[in-house]
Amino acid sequence: MRARVLTGTLVALLTVPLLVSAASAQNALVVSIWGGNWKDTVEKVVAKPFTAKTGIPVEFEVGGTIDRLAKARVAKGSPLVDLNFTTTHVARLYISDGLYEKLDMAKIPNSKEIAREAFRSEYHLGSWAYVYTVVYRPDLVKEEITKWSDLWNPALKGKIAMPDFDPSHIITIAALMEGGNEVTWQKGEEKLKQLKPSIAAFYSTDAQSQDLMKTGQAPVQVMLSVNAYHLQEQGIAVKIVQPRDYPGIVGIDTMAVMAGTKKADAALQFINFTLSKEIQSELVKALRAGPVNTGASVSPSLAGQPGIFVTPAQWKERGYIMNDEVRAKNLPAWREWFTANIVKK
Amino acid sequence: MKLLLAPAVVVLAVFAAALGALFRWSFLEFIPGSLRPGGLTLANFRSVLAPQYLDTVWDTVLLSAATTLLTLVLSYPVAYALARTPSRRARSALLILTLAPFFTGAIVRTYAWVLVLGNAVVTWPVPMLFTERGVLVGLVHFSMPSMILVLAAALSHIDPAYERAAASLGAGPARVFWRVTLPLSMPGIVSGGLIVFAWTLSAFATPELLGGGKVKMIANVVKDLGLDSFNWPGAAAFAMLSLALTLALLVGLGRLTAGRAA
Repeated sequence: MRARVLTGTLVALLTVPLLVSAASAQNALVVSIWGGNWKDTVEKVVAKPFTAKTGIPVEFEVGGTIDRLAKARVAKGSPLVDLNFTTTHVARLYISDGLYEKLDMAKIPNSKEIAREAFRSEYHLGSWAYVYTVVYRPDLVKEEITKWSDLWNPALKGKIAMPDFDPSHIITIAALMEGGNEVTWQKGEEKLKQLKPSIAAFYSTDAQSQDLMKTGQAPVQVMLSVNAYHLQEQGIAVKIVQPRDYPGIVGIDTMAVMAGTKKADAALQFINFTLSKEIQSELVKALRAGPVNTGASVSPSLAGQPGIFVTPAQWKERGYIMNDEVRAKNLPAWREWFTANIVKK
Repeated sequence: MKLLLAPAVVVLAVFAAALGALFRWSFLEFIPGSLRPGGLTLANFRSVLAPQYLDTVWDTVLLSAATTLLTLVLSYPVAYALARTPSRRARSALLILTLAPFFTGAIVRTYAWVLVLGNAVVTWPVPMLFTERGVLVGLVHFSMPSMILVLAAALSHIDPAYERAAASLGAGPARVFWRVTLPLSMPGIVSGGLIVFAWTLSAFATPELLGGGKVKMIANVVKDLGLDSFNWPGAAAFAMLSLALTLALLVGLGRLTAGRAA
């Protein structure tokens, strides 16, 4: 008898948390996002106040951009998550495969306050912005860098790193320098080949990029502004260049509702909440990313800094926004050319 | 007996299904900017036969061969000591030192090499980090424990009486090693060599981190095609091609060395 009671108690103790967790998962809005700082910030700055305001619990599914895309594709029709954060050009792939639901803008009133650049499509809206720009350590690089063309200075031989997973930024800059753009990118091919001797390494993750900068193995980088601000917070004296010749290449992370979700209304509420002035102001502070709500308050020390656009003029002049569709379509060809001509020894 | 075979069949069936899916994807058309593949095509195989991909295959084979050879040369004395040291304590200490790298994660070990090769710990006369030399050092380090264990097992099966007999007949230590120990340890050399060669052919993290994106091996290119270019059919075709090459190389090496190992 005692054994039965003991077994029953044990079973109850073991199953109750599972049931509670299952029930919570059933009610919760599941948000797909990158791990680390991105998830932690969105959880702290957006999800917790959202739950406090609406009573809707939020859970996160974290992973790399492509892992999450692959999972979404496999679960097409009955998605494992309700709302997705990803970069704007990768979102194009979700859209092309019918993985996103059209947004009901009437349920996102705060969308009226956002910069027009944040309207990426009728399926996805920007949540914050940043730039890929030149970042360097003045303690290890004597030459002052103020523009993109300074990267071609022979004194920087063997000092530069850039991402190889997505060479869009430097390909577009080289094309712009030669009078082209992301569509006529071939115009910059020869210019880019001249940069090859200066490249010390290619990085494939944000962490690798930051390590290369910290250890000084690549003290000049084509780098995500958010990561550069993060390094500054860690006490690494890096300079984030606001290039004088061509703008930084803008990156916009976006939010979208997964097609087939049963919690579309909650997802739209979450998007609306994220776009509010208050939350956008907090996101700028926490991420050092640019707000998409033009009414968000930004500290004077950050306003107008690289990747943090607060006026329509800054959006226009200090950032170059590539055509998402062209970028999504050209990326395989860019990578192939880049690997064959720049990466290969 | 049949009952025991069932789990093995299930496991193999799962592997076969995954391989089948990969095979199927390798014949589907890649449409840039879309996740949906098109119809059946041979274009993926034509694309991965381009010089830049074939260069990667060649570099991978060379790097794997160099790793195998260097690992063998460096591991042999350690394995010999492990097999022949009379002191139990010394053997235990050697075994612990050999196995120690297994207890740290591959990424941690690689990052440690980033610091060592990056002139932060040792100043190298030639650049090591982000070069093939640096990748080779990392690969040899990762491969040595496996090679040492396989060689030590082979050496411990050689009766020391053979070596004593050769010495008593007038052979010097070098001659004893060359004419007796080395030939008798050939099964271990072949097994260890094949393990390290196959292992290195599929290396990913070491070239990724120590090569700084400049040293590409087969696994890195598969990842680049699939995860960075979204070209899943291309990645599948390159993976199939590499799988065929690996099998061919291993079968070829196995046949070449079968006579020697016997």
